[in-house]
This record gives sequence, C-alpha cells and structure tokens, in this order.
Amino acid sequence: MKSYVMGIDFGSTTTKTVILDLKGKMVASCVASKGSISAEGVQVSMDGAFAQAGIAQKDIARTVSTGYGRRMIDVADQSYTEITCHARGAIAMFPEARLVIDIGGQDSKVIAVSGDGLVQQFAMNDRCAAGTGKFLEALARAVQVPVEAMGALAMSSTEKLTVSNMCATFAETEVISLLAEGKSKPDVLGAVHAAIASRTAGLVARVGNRNPIVMTGGVAKNHAAVHYIEQALSAKMLIAPDPQIAGALGAALFALDEVAKPSAAMMDEEDGADEAMSSARGCATQPCKTAAKLPANERPLLGPM
Amino acid sequence: MSIESILGTLEWTAENSLAAASQWKQASGRRIVGSFPMHFPGEMAHAAGCTPVILQESHEPITVGHGMIYPFYCGFTRSIVDQACKGDYDFLDAIMFGDHCVQVLGAADVVRAKLPNTRVHFYQLISSMSDPWSLGRARETFLNLKEGLEEMIGHSIDDEAMRASIRLFNRNRQMLRKLYEMRRAGDARLTARQMQILVKSSMIMDKAEHNRLLEELLAEFDKTRATAQRGVRVYLSGHFCQAPKTGVLDMIEECGGIVVDDDLYHGQRFISTDVDDSIDPLDALAKWYLERNLKVPCPTRVDQNADWENYLLDAMERSRADGMIVLMAKFCEPHMYYYPEIKEAFEKRGVPHLLIETEHELNSFEALRTRVETFLEVVKRQTAARRIAA
Repeated sequence: MKSYVMGIDFGSTTTKTVILDLKGKMVASCVASKGSISAEGVQVSMDGAFAQAGIAQKDIARTVSTGYGRRMIDVADQSYTEITCHARGAIAMFPEARLVIDIGGQDSKVIAVSGDGLVQQFAMNDRCAAGTGKFLEALARAVQVPVEAMGALAMSSTEKLTVSNMCATFAETEVISLLAEGKSKPDVLGAVHAAIASRTAGLVARVGNRNPIVMTGGVAKNHAAVHYIEQALSAKMLIAPDPQIAGALGAALFALDEVAKPSAAMMDEEDGADEAMSSARGCATQPCKTAAKLPANERPLLGPM
Repeated sequence: MSIESILGTLEWTAENSLAAASQWKQASGRRIVGSFPMHFPGEMAHAAGCTPVILQESHEPITVGHGMIYPFYCGFTRSIVDQACKGDYDFLDAIMFGDHCVQVLGAADVVRAKLPNTRVHFYQLISSMSDPWSLGRARETFLNLKEGLEEMIGHSIDDEAMRASIRLFNRNRQMLRKLYEMRRAGDARLTARQMQILVKSSMIMDKAEHNRLLEELLAEFDKTRATAQRGVRVYLSGHFCQAPKTGVLDMIEECGGIVVDDDLYHGQRFISTDVDDSIDPLDALAKWYLERNLKVPCPTRVDQNADWENYLLDAMERSRADGMIVLMAKFCEPHMYYYPEIKEAFEKRGVPHLLIETEHELNSFEALRTRVETFLEVVKRQTAARRIAA
C-alpha cells in the first residue's frame, strides 16, 4: 500500500528528505551532508528518512524533488524549484508568514508569498556567493574557526568592524587584513555576519519588505546570522525548529497535493494547466485589456532590479 | 533542402560570421563592409556593390581587448574591441560606425586606432525623432554615408540600384516576418534559437542567397503541419546590439517556456520595417529610420510618439504571451535607463515579467535556470488560480 509521499531537496551542500503520510503528517525528516551535489548524500538522506519512518521506497506514492540537483533524482515523479518549494514549506511551518528568507549553501533568496504558499515575487543572489552559506564557510576557514562555532563567537563581539558584502573572495582578503591588524576573532566574525545581513537586506529591498518574516535554510540555525539580519531589517523573524527542511517539506506537500488531486499536478504537460492557460488566454487578443489582470490583492511577479 | 539542412547552413553562418563573410568575399570578389548594429541601412552598401555584414559579439573570451577598454563596458563593445585587437577585422574593406551609445562610441575609437588602414564611415544619426527637422537631418546623414561609399567605390550609386537593393532587403524582411507570424500562430515550430539563427544569418549572408534559402524554408513549412505546443508562452524583450547567448534561449525553452515573440535586435527589431521603394531612395531611408522606431521603439532614440512599455504590453497581447522575460545585457545603459518604466507599467497592468541580466562572461546557466523555472511555475500557478477564482 503506497501510503506516503516524499519530498527531496537536493541542495548544493546538503540533501534533505521529508516523508509525509497521506494526511499530511510528517513521519520522517533527514538531513545528509556529503559534499557538493552528491548522489551519495541523496541516498543517505532518503535511507535515513525511510529508517525513521520504518518504511521503504515501495510505500511512497509520489516523490517531488527540488534544489540545485532536482533534475538528477531518478525516483522523483516531478520537480519544482527550491523557490517554489521553500515558499510552500515555510508557509506550512508558519501560515501567517508573508516573506521567506532562505539562505542555503549556494543561494540566498527572498520570496514574497501569499497565504496559500504561492510565490508572488522573488529575488535571488546572482552569481556571487556573497550572502550565502558558502560565504560563511569561506570566512570561517579564514578565521580558522569551525562553521558551527562561528555564530556563538560572533555574538560575543564588542567592537563594530566592517567587511565588504559584495564578494566572498574580497571579504576573505579583508578578514585576513583585519586579523593582521590585531582585531579579535569575535569582532571579525561579527563583521562577517553583519555583511551577510546587509546583503540579505538588499535582497529584501528588491522584493519589498513584508511581515511576518520566516527564515529557512541552514544559515537560519546560526544565531548570529539571525541576530544581525533581524537588526538589519528591524524585525523579528520566525525560525522553525528545523529550518533546513523547509524546501523538502514544500516538495512533499506538492507531492501530497498531486496524490490527493491529480489535477493539482499543474506543472505536468499532460494535465489541465495548459488548458487552463489557453482558456485564460482566450480573450487576450486585441482589444481585450482584462486578460492579464490580477486580483487587486495580488501583486504580479517582478524581476529583480 | 530539408528544414534541418537549411537551418544548419544558416546556423553555421550565424555562428561563424567573420569566416562566412571572408569566404563570401573570396567567392564573390565583393567588398565587405562591416557595420555596427542597430541603425545602419545595409541596402546602401549593397547598392554600392558591397556586402554589408553586421559585426557580432564573438564567443571567445576577451583578452587583449582588456588593455583598450574598461571592464564596465558592455560585452558587445568589449568583444568588438577584442576582435579588432586580434586582427579579426583585417579582411574588412570598410567599417560603418554609428554612435547610438557612449560605449559604442568608445569601441569605435579603439577600432579606428587599431585599424588605421581600414576605411571608416562614421555617421551620427539624429536621435531626436519627432522634431520638424528630424527627417531632413536623417536624410542628410544618409547622404553623407552614400557619398562616403561612392568615394570608396569610385563611382556614384544610382537610384535604380538603390531601389533594387531596397526591394531585395524588403523581401528578406517580409519573409522573416512571415516566419514570425507562422510561429505566433502555431503554424511553424521554431525555437528561439532557430529564430535567432534566421535573423542573425540575414545580418551576415548575401541577401539574395539568404532570400533563396528563406523561400525554400517557407515552402517546406507550408508542406508540414505543426503540432500544438504546450507550455508558458513567453515574450522576450531587450538585447540590442548583441544576440542573446543561444544557451540562455535553450534554457528558457527547456524550463517549459515557449518563446512566441520578441523585440530583440536579433529578432523583430531588425526586420520590423520595410523601406518605400517608390520614392527617392534617400527620402525613403530617412523615413524608414524614423518609422522603425515607431514600429519597435528603441531606447537609444527619443520620440514623443513612441512608448516602449506600451508597445510591449500591446505586443504581448497580440502574441498571446503569458509572461515576458527581459534580457538585459550587463552595462547596457540605454536599456538600464528605460527598464524602470517597463517594470512600473508591467506591475501596474499585472503582467508577470522576469529580468535576466546577461553578460559576455556568463556560461553557466544553472542559477539562472532556477529563476526562470520559478518564474514559469509562478505564471502557471497564477493563471490556474485566476481561472479557479473566475
């Protein structure tokens, strides 16, 4: 009997798996870290989740994948981007949230969401790793502090220093020169977290600040990052007990939708989405001016400036 | 020839523009006149017995060109300078420069310095398009250009030769527009990459030869019935001087978008307007220059009667597009200057759009893919949600 659905978030540094029963109750979640885009990580994460739930692959009715490696997962029936899935997962964790800040290993993104978990607007870091987990990893290495310890150390900072928020490589050079000037590790790390926060504030500005804000992704587990981002935004953020699994949870929820109501598989080429779009387009020929209008409370999707 | 082999021939030309032009020069004995993109009437060089070739951004990494131009110039100008420094333009008989933006002007200066023995025709077209004197000034510039060409070939270009070239070029534009129309209507399945190949090759290949291939292609499409395509109908806007990387176009379509229309220079912008072949050719070209800015507004020109954002909204309705993807070449000042107006107008109308900044050095599309895929997912979900609400 296939009585479960699975969401897999194949990220750049970790893989997260969430299994839900068909009522939507989470029965397992597992985070595995096996290096960049690692198929082994996917297997470890899935096996961990199966073991927790006491089930096997044959019990899974539908799997949705997300994350950087989303198209590389053979067991997935469908894949959506991590932006779509993080929005859905974050709203499932905190239904009142209207803005999601997700800082993962490779990407950082800010997503404006509606109450039903649909993405309204988003902004994402461009090519540079500044403002991502990679940025923290690189700078932890420069300061020679384990990544897990850097947050606590940064919280004990007493002197305000500045590190550039534009480029991880430049920031590393700056960190080394600050250390050479005799600045303390906590102060330097405080500046590193402040740099991440100012970069995030820039992304939030692109989308437009809204409240309440929920933060997801691995970096949300770092207290100093949360503290500095809250300071930069002058707002408290909602943080789930396990913020890393938001994307996998969102993916699992989409899988659940699609099992419950196959027509909900909107992205499938075989389903009703194209038909829906064709009928919505129907009156879009001239001189119709109404076809593309959204309801008054819904903002259109915009590109980042 | 089959559709595939015609497109294959055109693709080779589009992707190897200088090699194709050089081969043509050897085979035909014609002079090759390289020109900067956007506003140069190739008809005139053709009537002078030359083959006009619009200079293209190369895929090569920029190396020696770095010594001549700042890294904050757009990829197109940096690439043009780099190609000039590497000697790629040595086979050209002349180069036509325009001054449609400051960066292009800088590139022109470097090319001039690097190719002292190549004849340069510099033209400064009026950019204020709706003044009482605009038409006269445009005509004057085209007359200067004609005189420069006449000096190069050693005899005058007669009006009948100009009209013959105008007719040949009109025919080319008409056939390309027909292909666009067929794609919009779903009668011809042409990807964004293929559409770019069709237009880009027209900027390089001998026009009579290009027309012959287009005629064959149209005949082939008439014979086949296109199957309906499913997905999000996408309108592409932006990218002036340089062609967007075909990898970006492929990526958009791999993510589930169907590109149905565009205002790209390597697209509709290049072929939008015909030249009147019944009046004085210089009058006709001046008229063409002003008219094409009304057909597809250009952010480097100023016309009280042209409004790019309204043009885009209307064009999207005409092509029944669900969303627009704006391709903005990094450091393209005219585009950056106008984009906020487009953003505001689209936001007001509630039409989804996504901005993608492109650059010469960008070769990895994975992070872009996430943004494009999300955009298309959102457009689908919003459309479906609207339908349920209705």
